[in-house]
Amino acid sequence: MRKISKKFVALFVFIAAVFSVYANGNKEVAPAKSYYASNATVESIVKDAATKGQVGNWGLGNEYEIQALLTKYNLPTTYLSQAFDMDGFDDDSILLASAMTYNELGLVKNDYDGGYGYGNKVSFIDMNSEGVAMLEDNLFTKADFAQANPNTVKAFIYASMKGWEYACANPEEAAEIVFNNGSSVSPQHQAYMASEVKKLVETDTAGNPVSIYGKMDETAMAQTLALAKKYIKLEDSVAAKALESMTLDDIRNTVFWDEAMASAGKFDVEKSDVSIQLKWLPQAQFMGYYVAKDKGYYSEVGLNVTIVPGGGDIGEPTAVYTGQVDFGVTWVSNLIAAKAAGMDLLQIAQVYQKSGLVLVYKTEE
Amino acid sequence: MKNSKSTIIAPVTLGLIGVFMWQSQMLHRILGADTFTMPLPARIFGIITENIAKILFNMQATVMVAIGGLILGSVLGYLLAILASNFPKWGVGGLSVISSFNAIPIIAIAPILNNLTKDFSSDPNTRSMLAKILVVMITCTVSMSVNAYRGFIELKPFSEDLMRSLAANRMTVFFKLKVPNSVPYIFTALRVSVPASIISAMVSEYFAEYIIGVGRQIRENIVLAQYATAWAYITAAITIGIIMYVILIIIEGICMKGRR
Repeated sequence: MRKISKKFVALFVFIAAVFSVYANGNKEVAPAKSYYASNATVESIVKDAATKGQVGNWGLGNEYEIQALLTKYNLPTTYLSQAFDMDGFDDDSILLASAMTYNELGLVKNDYDGGYGYGNKVSFIDMNSEGVAMLEDNLFTKADFAQANPNTVKAFIYASMKGWEYACANPEEAAEIVFNNGSSVSPQHQAYMASEVKKLVETDTAGNPVSIYGKMDETAMAQTLALAKKYIKLEDSVAAKALESMTLDDIRNTVFWDEAMASAGKFDVEKSDVSIQLKWLPQAQFMGYYVAKDKGYYSEVGLNVTIVPGGGDIGEPTAVYTGQVDFGVTWVSNLIAAKAAGMDLLQIAQVYQKSGLVLVYKTEE
Repeated sequence: MKNSKSTIIAPVTLGLIGVFMWQSQMLHRILGADTFTMPLPARIFGIITENIAKILFNMQATVMVAIGGLILGSVLGYLLAILASNFPKWGVGGLSVISSFNAIPIIAIAPILNNLTKDFSSDPNTRSMLAKILVVMITCTVSMSVNAYRGFIELKPFSEDLMRSLAANRMTVFFKLKVPNSVPYIFTALRVSVPASIISAMVSEYFAEYIIGVGRQIRENIVLAQYATAWAYITAAITIGIIMYVILIIIEGICMKGRR
């Protein structure tokens, strides 16, 4: 009996040992070359990270620009699934990590609470200058809602864009307003985010300044649709066919925005209690809407607006389509996918004029 | 066993009525759902047949994780039960500590194990497979250890005393009495572990570094508003669950022949 229990103990110790090896890991195994020279070309960096299989993205519809970039350099379009933190980048399991300029990039660079403090030891590849930019945060609604409530839609666009204009002119104040509205991040990160979001709202993909808020630029929209058609892979053949034959007129209507921006700000709204579904948690990414509510721009046009924060796997298109909310903020590519699946949604404004997605990498100081 | 015909006919009929009500949209009227978030069975079946290769590929990944974790967890749980029954002084306490592992939600341990296994292999598919298997293993260990332990101690009255009075040593008692006595308890544990292994395999796929598996596909498609495709993968998940459970019942039937 003694022998038997000894064997079991030995086996148990063995199993425990195996686990501890997994758990403690062997940090030396991590690739020694996780830093790129400051003069390395984009092509060489992308190639190196992709051949090692260490390009990261969150997936879930955020991956198309990355896949377009990999295709540009004749690389396979597979990527590692990146968590919503930057630990994978920090521990070198991801060499080229996806980051939004206004969020993850700031966390990597800055050393405030929650930041990784890399400072100028990181650099990034910009989707805009690589020519693979797809438009992100927009404003959309359900087609039949827009049909039935044209003045409500125009009033909402008018007041929201006024909010965006004020927020971009006063990013620090906007950050504070968002923070006071139940922020998910620290006030310092909120302020950083506001200053970066301002750039996305006021610069186009070519780097030119944009002075009109929410304009749907034809060229950028067309490029987004073209890339979406190429990289959104749908297994449902009905949806895939719909995607293939989709045109810009199917996904956006410029009339509401045109008339709202040309108006004097007086609207005879059909529905005064409206709500907007955000794509993520309350943060300066959506500062225009928080400012519009806080400064009373919505009440000025006769609207009582409820802002519904997102987070996790919230599907903004589904929330708008099923009528839980009236308006939504999503990425244009997500709207295209939902439209292909048969949701009759309509984009009514494009807040971000260029892509905020970058691939961040470690570099020499 | 006399009822076997009716035990099959009743649920199958109910299932068929359900599918009919679904396809004819009666179910949609009752639930107030639309055919968008709840697509018709014909459409779902169409997607399955069109993408059968890809769906099978993802099913295979999920099944490998579920079975790998199930075997590892059950073996580990059984060994822990042996240890606990051999050292009753701390065995019972030890098992209650292990039982507390069951209270940890899968969504909490999955990302942690993901980080811990990063140095295991340079191939993301391999290391995320290990992370997922470990998650499943943890969920399966507890039910096996607790049940098998009961199988070792809840013996027929006086059977152990009888063997001892016949001068059987502890090894004979263990292999001739305790192990056979634990067999029904093993199946009690597996009836819980098999469905649990599939659920935890699918949830751990959400957090894995490598994008593969039925659970991950359900999530990707729902986020992209591709509900019909998501339902196709949900059907795949259900199929895995039913097949694995049926296999377990068949094995149980063979092993338990003449015992009941």
